[in-house]
Amino acid sequence: MAYFGNNQQRGELQELYIDLNDLNFEKKKEAIKKVIAYMTVGKDVSQLFQSVIKCLEFQDIEMKKLIYLYIVNYSRQKPDDAIMVIQNFRKDVRKSENPLVRALAIRTFGCLRVPKLNEYLIEPLKDCIQDDDPYVRKTAVLCVPKVFEVSPELCPAILEQLQKLLEKESNALVLANLIQSMREIEVLYGKQLIILNPKIIQKLLLAVDECIEWGQIFILDYLATHDPVDSKQAETIIERSLPRLSHINPTVTFCAVKLILKYLDYLDNGDLVKNLCKKISPSIISLLSWNQPEIQYTILRNISLILQKFPILFENEVKVFFCSFNEPYYIKYEKLEIMVRICDSKNFLQVLNELKIYINEADPHFVRKTIKSIGKIAIMYDKALQEAVTILIEFAKNVQQANEPVQELFIQMQILYRKNRYLYKSNDSLKILFNILEYANEPEAKSACAWIVGEFAEFIPKSVEKMQEYIDHFLLEDRLVQLQLLTSGVKLYIKYPSLCSALIQQLINSAKDSFNPDVRDRTYIYWRLLSTDPELVKNLVCYQVKGSQQFQKDIRLWETKDLIIALENMGSISNLFHKLPNQLYKNIKVRNNHQKEAKIYKVDDKLESPSKEQQIKNDQQNQPPQQNQDLDLLNFEEPASNNNQSNNKNKIDVYDLI
Amino acid sequence: MISSIVFINHKGEILIYRVYKDDITRSETTQFCAKIVATKENKECPIINIDGTSFIHITIKDIVVLATTKVNVNVAMTLQFLYQLVKVCRAYFGGEFDENCIKKHFVLIYEILDEVMDYGVPQIADADLLKKYIQEGGLKPELMNDVEKLKQLTSQATGATSWRPPNLVYRKNEVYLDVIESVNVLMSVKGTILKADVAGSIQVKCLLSGMPECKFGMNDKLLMQREPRKPGQTTTDKGITIDDLKFHQCVKLPKFDKERAITFIPPDGQFELMTYRITENINLPFKIMPVYNELGKNKLEIRVKIKSIFEKNLFATNLAIKIPVPKNTANVSTNSAIGKAKHEPDQQGVIWRIKKYPGDFEALLRCEIDLGQTTNQQPWIKPPISMEFQVPMFTASGLRVRFLRIYEKAGYKPTKWIRYITKAGEYLHRL
Repeated sequence: MAYFGNNQQRGELQELYIDLNDLNFEKKKEAIKKVIAYMTVGKDVSQLFQSVIKCLEFQDIEMKKLIYLYIVNYSRQKPDDAIMVIQNFRKDVRKSENPLVRALAIRTFGCLRVPKLNEYLIEPLKDCIQDDDPYVRKTAVLCVPKVFEVSPELCPAILEQLQKLLEKESNALVLANLIQSMREIEVLYGKQLIILNPKIIQKLLLAVDECIEWGQIFILDYLATHDPVDSKQAETIIERSLPRLSHINPTVTFCAVKLILKYLDYLDNGDLVKNLCKKISPSIISLLSWNQPEIQYTILRNISLILQKFPILFENEVKVFFCSFNEPYYIKYEKLEIMVRICDSKNFLQVLNELKIYINEADPHFVRKTIKSIGKIAIMYDKALQEAVTILIEFAKNVQQANEPVQELFIQMQILYRKNRYLYKSNDSLKILFNILEYANEPEAKSACAWIVGEFAEFIPKSVEKMQEYIDHFLLEDRLVQLQLLTSGVKLYIKYPSLCSALIQQLINSAKDSFNPDVRDRTYIYWRLLSTDPELVKNLVCYQVKGSQQFQKDIRLWETKDLIIALENMGSISNLFHKLPNQLYKNIKVRNNHQKEAKIYKVDDKLESPSKEQQIKNDQQNQPPQQNQDLDLLNFEEPASNNNQSNNKNKIDVYDLI
Repeated sequence: MISSIVFINHKGEILIYRVYKDDITRSETTQFCAKIVATKENKECPIINIDGTSFIHITIKDIVVLATTKVNVNVAMTLQFLYQLVKVCRAYFGGEFDENCIKKHFVLIYEILDEVMDYGVPQIADADLLKKYIQEGGLKPELMNDVEKLKQLTSQATGATSWRPPNLVYRKNEVYLDVIESVNVLMSVKGTILKADVAGSIQVKCLLSGMPECKFGMNDKLLMQREPRKPGQTTTDKGITIDDLKFHQCVKLPKFDKERAITFIPPDGQFELMTYRITENINLPFKIMPVYNELGKNKLEIRVKIKSIFEKNLFATNLAIKIPVPKNTANVSTNSAIGKAKHEPDQQGVIWRIKKYPGDFEALLRCEIDLGQTTNQQPWIKPPISMEFQVPMFTASGLRVRFLRIYEKAGYKPTKWIRYITKAGEYLHRL
């Protein structure tokens, strides 16, 4: 230590070293504070370890805390030096009459995380778990997982002690910490530690009434993972958790909501279920308008799950999800998503009217999402088609530059045209779109434009010229655009054989040199077909559907079989990312003892059997409509829209008719 | 649970860094810091995942308060804890929470962090309670050596009424009640109400001796239906429908759930007894009627009429109506019989301020807006007209306090005071 060099940091350390060893108490204390300040900004002050721990001889509690903080930070770097503090800790734990000091010592001791020190800790820890003072007990209980994480082999006796404590502890706060601590150990241990019996459940429910807010969360959260044995037990637990819906801490409320929603499946009494739904709904809505946007966001991210299993809760509540002008965008994005999900045959016009306003907002990304949402709604409800086209074309009239929303506009208009090709007539939509085709610059949007030009060639003036423009840069285009250009080019050739003979030649010539094998393959197939049987090509490529096409649309976010697990984890990080815990965290095993199937709670309160519903959906998805089967061989195209980056279940299945 | 708590300033520098579990490295945190500085305000998501570490944060003024974790924690709880942490800090620093404060009191903050969280699990985080055993500059030696007092303290902290210390004495027993309502309303261009609700809060300042049991009653429809009618008494007041109520931890929730009675042993001093939300039968205190005209290419006219819809003997105060104008506004001439209206370019709007506004009264503002030349061809995106106001002695929901009964074994009769006020929350009219 005496050989500090001349560089600046060394100089600072030396000064601290001198001050720490000063006889003056105040000077020592100031020096300790500086050490902590350095530690905070990330400077390495571990060399001062010995000098710092020497200061522990003073009884000043503020200084003690700072020194402990220091020790915790550096103990793993300096295990040999850390051993010197053990005596101090043991003295504090065993001798001090001050419960705050005992608790502080046991709390810090657990954080040392040096395996060879832990054996000195076991005995004092056992004492603390039995301490008279609940404040010490609640701290000691949380110390166990700290030790278990580093040296599990030392712990069997203590784990037993915890299990006994669960039986006899009467203080609510200690009990809550105990539950949380045992859950943490269960994750590390991989075995069940908490064994619930009716008596313990009773005790936990009682503790919820007396506990601080966090403790209430631990207990409710834990109970939500429990499967009640029968309807009676579920009813009791629900009844005792209901008052929590009125707690001021939104998380307590939300945990209670989760617990009750999970237990609903176990209730036999249908009227009770209906009543409970009525009670829960306003609570969730309050949380959605909570004055802290971050909390709102968390709840919003869980809404699609609730909406899927309990549509009944948001009956007539679509207005709750209307965006406010001044809200942060991360909230607006979520609300948009949910508005599409909550949309039904009764309220779709109301939703569209609201979306019409958002389309004028300033943020391009938000506007893009709005346009996409309008498209989704129109796909779901035939009656919404006309209104959606009106809104989108009104927007298209004001387009003056190539920006994000315009790209989405083309993509959505293409989908709408596919659904009902006669829409090209309404509102002059085709003409207006044709005027702004040049603004498409994303591959997907360009491909949509290419489709439009090919499909409606006879209604567009100069469609051949437009196609010629595209084909001139054929090889520079993205694969998606190339594929579409090929098909559209062929369509154009079929429609105007004499006008386009040069065009189709050029197209095939460029396309067979494409880097992309898909494009080359398709080129060859068209080439062969055109040279053998042009009439067949006509039938295949210019196939026209009468009336509006049926689109299957699955907007469910979760697999029905995952609903219960997802519900149990409501509010957690994994749910926030719309994943199951085991998909996000490798070390989590999903319990698989659910005999029950998730019920879906609909407004007309028929409880549908989910397996049946899903089966029908699956069937529909797996079998394309009959009329398409013979065309399927030629169906090379990408699904028209990959509308959700995070979730491929969300695709609109468009059976493409080339 | 939570691996660390970090305070970061707007430059992305770490101010406070407290680790609870050592599964996190400092460099992971600095990675987040760099990211948060790069993201635009208003767009950053409160939770971000980077390589298996979740960063959950809130932003208070310029300070980012961050919790990191590698396990599947309850996000809402974590966020709520961060808010609570800031609340505790504010309580210690006299309401302030900024970089200076944090730097000045970092020792105290570390002490607080040590107490409010253990092994990443939230613990006692009640400022009043913490102040009893964590103080700037350390505790007084008298307390540290008085084992009896310490025992009393820990038993209060871990007990069922942790919010109230025993043996309080006031010479004059008083209770102040404040009913504060914010009205949120969104009106369409045509003036139909798209959504409207009242977010209410009842603030209580309690200066009472001993351990008083309080019972609080309002004109809650559900409660009034339960009460037996006294013979001969006729009442027209049927009460109001309250959508949802949330209570301070002191309120006995099971009792409320069963009997709808609000009973509690209050904390000492100021606290928020309850919040509530009402959507039915709201009396909107103001009606806004705008007319928007384009007078040629470079001229706009916006006329705004407001009408107060409350009794004549009441007054609204501090009205501020913000009428948005385009960015390229060159000049605005305003004309109104009452108040002052001024173009404030930094707000991108005309602000019409009226100090005092009587009930049942109409006023009109006419703005003529001259637009400057602009290269931007995009049409103007019209934000909504917004309004601020306060109406004392008025509740938009019609809520009234009916009684506050206080039982204490000393049998004193406290003095009770009550105030009502309605404020504008998000009071918006689309243009």
